[in-house]
Amino acid sequence: MRFGGLVANDNIDLEVAPVGITGLIGPNGAGKTTLFNVLTGLNRPTSGSVAYDGQDISRWSPHRRARAGMSRTFQRLELFGGMTVRDNLLAAWEASIPGGVMGRRQSEGRQLVDEVIARLQLGAVAGRQTGELPTGIGRMVELGRALCTRPRLLLLDEPSSGLDAKETAHFKEILVEVTDPEQAVQSEDGRGAPAVLMVEHDVRLVMDVCRMITVLDFGKRIACGAPDEVRNDPAVIAAYLGEPAA
Amino acid sequence: MLQFIVLGLFAGSIYALASLGIVLTYKTTGVFNFAYGGIAMFCAYVFWQLRDGWGLDQWIAIPLLLLVIAPLLGLILELLFRLLSQQSAEVQIVVCLGVLAFFTTIVNLVFVRHPDDSVRNLSTVFSHGSFGLTSNVSVTWNEAGTFILAIVMGLGLYAMQRWTRLGTAMRAVVDNRDLAGLIAVNARTIGRAAWIISTVFAAVAGVLLSVQENLVTYVLPFLVIYSFAPAVFGRLTNLGLAFAGSLTLGLTINILQKYGSSGSLAKFETSLPYLALFVLLVVYGKRLTEVKSSLRATTSRAVADPWRGYVVGAVALILALVLGPQVFADSTVGALAQAMAYGVVAITVVVLTGWTGQISIAQMSFAGVGAFTTAHTVASLGALYFPLGVLFGILIAVPVSLLVGIPSLRLSGLFLALATMAFALVMDSIVFASASISGGLTGLDLTEAKLGPISFDTATSQYYLCAVALGVTGLFALWLRHGPVGRRLQMVRDSPNAAATLGASLTVTKLAVFAACAAIAAVGGALLAVTQQTVIPANFSFDTSLQLLLVVVIGGRTLISGAVIAAGFYVVRLLPVPATVNKYLPLGIALAVIAIAQEPDGIGRVMLNQFQKSAALLYRIGRRPRTPVAGRTSSPQAVRPSV
Repeated sequence: MRFGGLVANDNIDLEVAPVGITGLIGPNGAGKTTLFNVLTGLNRPTSGSVAYDGQDISRWSPHRRARAGMSRTFQRLELFGGMTVRDNLLAAWEASIPGGVMGRRQSEGRQLVDEVIARLQLGAVAGRQTGELPTGIGRMVELGRALCTRPRLLLLDEPSSGLDAKETAHFKEILVEVTDPEQAVQSEDGRGAPAVLMVEHDVRLVMDVCRMITVLDFGKRIACGAPDEVRNDPAVIAAYLGEPAA
Repeated sequence: MLQFIVLGLFAGSIYALASLGIVLTYKTTGVFNFAYGGIAMFCAYVFWQLRDGWGLDQWIAIPLLLLVIAPLLGLILELLFRLLSQQSAEVQIVVCLGVLAFFTTIVNLVFVRHPDDSVRNLSTVFSHGSFGLTSNVSVTWNEAGTFILAIVMGLGLYAMQRWTRLGTAMRAVVDNRDLAGLIAVNARTIGRAAWIISTVFAAVAGVLLSVQENLVTYVLPFLVIYSFAPAVFGRLTNLGLAFAGSLTLGLTINILQKYGSSGSLAKFETSLPYLALFVLLVVYGKRLTEVKSSLRATTSRAVADPWRGYVVGAVALILALVLGPQVFADSTVGALAQAMAYGVVAITVVVLTGWTGQISIAQMSFAGVGAFTTAHTVASLGALYFPLGVLFGILIAVPVSLLVGIPSLRLSGLFLALATMAFALVMDSIVFASASISGGLTGLDLTEAKLGPISFDTATSQYYLCAVALGVTGLFALWLRHGPVGRRLQMVRDSPNAAATLGASLTVTKLAVFAACAAIAAVGGALLAVTQQTVIPANFSFDTSLQLLLVVVIGGRTLISGAVIAAGFYVVRLLPVPATVNKYLPLGIALAVIAIAQEPDGIGRVMLNQFQKSAALLYRIGRRPRTPVAGRTSSPQAVRPSV
């Protein structure tokens, strides 16, 4: 069975579709990044709980959640600047498997890394230090790094922030491809395309790629549905345009 | 009892002045002033020079010190640390330790020209004599004056923070540096004010402390470290708590002195402030957040091609083994053996500080654990049991490192550095000071050590032993650096958050490195013991750990060659070089560390760059230009050692 995940918070019920991309949008300060930090364990929730795959994971450490298949990217790039692109990906793969640091099954990891590099078209920069790369490529490296952990749930935190229109379009193209079950990077243990939850400011990007969209405002879910439903939801329009809800 | 309370309040009020000064610069500028003891001592010596040395009137000397010299010093320090504000936290901490080393060496060079000068008397600035508090408890005017002065200065600082424009601006800067700039608060002016006030407090504390304890270069900086505990008690931000903590500390030490003037408790009271510092850091744990701008740490660059390192390392090792004893005189060979043992410990500093970004100022303490354990084992079981002694050393050092590591690895950079510092000082004052463990000041003998049939009683045999140890440790570390272990360390260092969310356990990683480094340091310590043939506590003190950190930073804290260069600094002290070299070397080291921001990767990086430039020049001939192809799955750089 492929992943079907349910993530909950005290105020926010979030359902992530098992395939494809689920969008999470909301005005500035709606609590999107905080929600991501709570989901991945970087912030402990003050109350309430986080459930994942039917289990309460509120007290799990970030790395345990990652090992369980949760992976993320960051709005402000968090690359390992002292390492090459290839080593960034390899390190991510090693971190995701128990005993990865002991160097077992290295060939398997290299194979996966090679495939991810090819799929994300990072071949030209594979040997470069990530610290000296432009943001556009950095975003792609973070995506690749997350994919190298063979995630079941991939959390993307504002992937288009800091990118120009061309870079965003490129990112969109690649993202759609690697999250499509038909074309996803297959790892040896049979995990295929991850479920994706994407926080994004660029509403057009979200409308284009997401099957389901959840809208947050002031830490509360105000709408949820397919792109067309959400687009016409009065509460969403009010939140974005600042008019009182009808 | 009342007498001890009086003494306690008196001592506590001096700590209070020092801790207020430390808190002030920390909360306004984000710099924890490790050098505070050095500054305080320097000011005390300047005061002595002005008043007692040159015979100036006290009422000229005091204003000269507090209104001219100390503020000037504060301005210089402010400038130095402002220039460093773009650097990573590690560099700031290391430079601060360099400033500490600078002041302690400059005092020795300028004011202590003759061994007789090492202890000087400084008479009180207040009236001599005393008055009776009760029929049998008397208080000297010095004690009363100190206490009142501390209260007045403390309240003055509080009032300044509370009610003056400058104070309001200071609090604004503490709350939010960036926003404070927007409402026309000049952070630079605030920083200057904080450094000036802090340095003046240091001067007052230094003079008052010297009146009580005399001018002793090897005691004063440590007494000022006493005030680190109350500063941390106030979480480095709360002046009131720091003040109260200082008085409590002074009282506790003096009351303990009443009950424990003899026996094992006597040692306890001198290490109480260090223990308190450690415990406070552990208890506060994550609640201690660093006052730092959000600047990212600079990351070190991993060398893409490790083979050059292996080749250079192996060639150097073989050359050293083949040529060393033939080329050099016997005494030089002995000195080189010691230096290479020291190099083994230096490698642990590279791994911890350079690769993992954890500053440990306690590596020589772990070396000491190895040295003393080995000496005891050999003394009681015989020379043949030397390897067993080394093993015991490791087996003790690792649990000890976990004891320090488990609670303190939750701490961020600065606080971990403080915790290791506290640990090293506790080791000095309790463990290494205990005659049954360390043999007292004269130490233990280790005249004979054997590995099977090989006896390490000559300089040459020790040389071979240490060369092999250094070579193997260095090459092994290099190999780890370029494999999964190295990648894991780099990830934890470059971005702990990303590392955690990809599945790397920060705690396990840091703890494993910490323990492994303690084990290797213990081996290095055992080797030092073999080469020195006696194990003296002073060779494994906090001071030596600090020196080690400084020379590794100069050598290049991210490179194995940095550790080798550090060993080079060590050997200079043992060789028959001109006396002036040894006299000014510590000063040179301190100044080089202060200048490290220019090249944070030290001499090793400069040499490596030169080497790579000339190597590239040679390579270019007969080599096809390589054009990377987009989408290619494996680039030529992918060739790496099989693991």
